[in-house]
Amino acid sequence: MSAYGGYQRTGYGAQGGEDGGGFVSGSQQGSQAGQKRNTDEYLRPVTIKQLIDSNKASYNEADVQIDGMPVTQVTVVGQVRAVNPQATNVTFKLDDGTATIDVKKWLDAGKSGGEDEVARFPLDTYVRVLGRIQSFNGKVHIGAHHMRAIEDFNEVNYHLLEATYVHLLLTKGGSAKTGGGGGDGDPNASMFVDQGNGYNAGGGGGYGGEDSRVAMCSRQAQQLYRWYQSAQGNTDGINIRDVVAGTKMSTRDVQAAADELLGHGLVYTTVDEETWAILEV
Amino acid sequence: MAEQSTPRVTCGYLNSYVGKNVMIVGKVQQLRGDEAVIDADGSFTAHLNRDAHLSAGNGVQIIGKVNPDLSIRVLSSLDLGTGVDFELSNTVAEISHQHRNLFMFE
Repeated sequence: MSAYGGYQRTGYGAQGGEDGGGFVSGSQQGSQAGQKRNTDEYLRPVTIKQLIDSNKASYNEADVQIDGMPVTQVTVVGQVRAVNPQATNVTFKLDDGTATIDVKKWLDAGKSGGEDEVARFPLDTYVRVLGRIQSFNGKVHIGAHHMRAIEDFNEVNYHLLEATYVHLLLTKGGSAKTGGGGGDGDPNASMFVDQGNGYNAGGGGGYGGEDSRVAMCSRQAQQLYRWYQSAQGNTDGINIRDVVAGTKMSTRDVQAAADELLGHGLVYTTVDEETWAILEV
Repeated sequence: MAEQSTPRVTCGYLNSYVGKNVMIVGKVQQLRGDEAVIDADGSFTAHLNRDAHLSAGNGVQIIGKVNPDLSIRVLSSLDLGTGVDFELSNTVAEISHQHRNLFMFE
């Protein structure tokens, strides 16, 4: 449960509002007793491959799990590859580059046919789907509650990162500082702290970012920052030539990383535009 | 049914995917007839199909097969307009290789 507590407070709490997932928050808040059905009712951002894998791993619809967490409500983002209007629903084949899945959008009884749904989502458009995982004859599909076309392509990448973030949060948990805390902590504890830790947990393998001040920075900026920390000693800062020599990064990368750190107020320029020092707190 | 993935890549990954289908997001630099030069953390040549509608300067998502010379034969292209964060796309390609279990059937 502790992993779940962490997810509830961070990934979901921080981002649910933005991606339109806020509507299930009521049921989520009510999970203080840890009732099983309640815990299923959260909205999980996933890649389509995760859904296909989860179906292979589970025996029946009731216990679909991803990363050891029961899941029923999911949100996916993908391109429409095929549209198949039927009497009671429209079936879309959705492809997000990781796999493909059928999405069934049931039609309102009162309205005529599925022409509207077909017209709203032409082939190859990116759509976001909110729906329920359903398994039938060993094949998984999504029963869509809501579908909308994506207007800003960056949302596609955002979704993939969010799915990765949640996966890492659930599999690796927060860092040692908050990891076991789970639901016991102050629910109002800053989500920025948690987010930073979640990121670090994810980055543990590849990025090794242990300083939360640079948690939001790119890998190269983190690398540069750490190098500066170890190389510090002169209040006049260190010139880009010495940085390049010391870090073995390219001049361009150092410049970009330093710009990023400057933007976050973590370093400042000293004797000229290409000499930086760490801003100590 | 064998599931297939279309891995998200940047230019640097192309030589690991010769003969395979990939998805690559980049910026159109040049259009020359049925060829386009596209930048995705390094530039590559795309051999366009007939229904490709690219505009120079716009972002584009290409799905295609990687040729031995590391050009790409386009199977499908999607014009993404001008608001694309290319750095983000490149990062996502990198992340998807770090966490293959979420993104790729091998």
